[in-house]
Amino acid sequence: MPQLVTVRYRRPDGRWRRLFIPVLLVLVVLLMLSPLLVLAALGGLIVGRVYGYRVSFLGALGGLGQVLWALPGARLEIDDGQTAFLIRVF
Amino acid sequence: MDEQGRQILMMLAEGKITADEAERLINALERQQPELAAGAESRPKARPKYLRVLVEDTSTGDEPSRINIRVPLQLLRAGVRLTSLVPPKAMTKINTELARSGVPIDLSELKPAQLEELIDQLHEVTVDVDGFTSKVQVFCE
Repeated sequence: MPQLVTVRYRRPDGRWRRLFIPVLLVLVVLLMLSPLLVLAALGGLIVGRVYGYRVSFLGALGGLGQVLWALPGARLEIDDGQTAFLIRVF
Repeated sequence: MDEQGRQILMMLAEGKITADEAERLINALERQQPELAAGAESRPKARPKYLRVLVEDTSTGDEPSRINIRVPLQLLRAGVRLTSLVPPKAMTKINTELARSGVPIDLSELKPAQLEELIDQLHEVTVDVDGFTSKVQVFCE
């Protein structure tokens, strides 16, 4: 499971800025928002059923968990003129 | 000469072993070493863990544009497993749109096991495109 996400981007004045995002902190925020998230998930399931898109809730949860667990080591770096950023997952 | 060979010679010099014994030991040592070397060569290479995509383009200006992406292969596998959750109705729509765009592929025919196998074979893939102003590299590491 990822522990830390670093985001590094170039500001308009040319200087670089780096942000360190501890994943644990994000999880705490998600936990605080969990009542809303449960409602959103239920809403999504109901809408899906109404329109005939049946998705396995547990399967989706497991799939998202696998994606989250596989994230460490990912790196995305783009440097194109004014836009430059680097995202790394540890 | 390695440490074991030197020890044999020292034992010979000290009179602990005879010349014949020393010769037999050295021969045995020489027989052993090629086997060890062959074992090291036949050891399988470490499995790659990441897919790298590197793009460099110098056509846009003074400074080259660069893209450097590293995707864990495990993430690709997890993504592939997620495709099995796509509802059949959505899959039909995707197939229709693909066919309309000139890509007649039936995605429902692609099984997760086949995609897994595809990812397993990715470590053999190396794409290296070197143009006048741009360079693209795709490989596993």
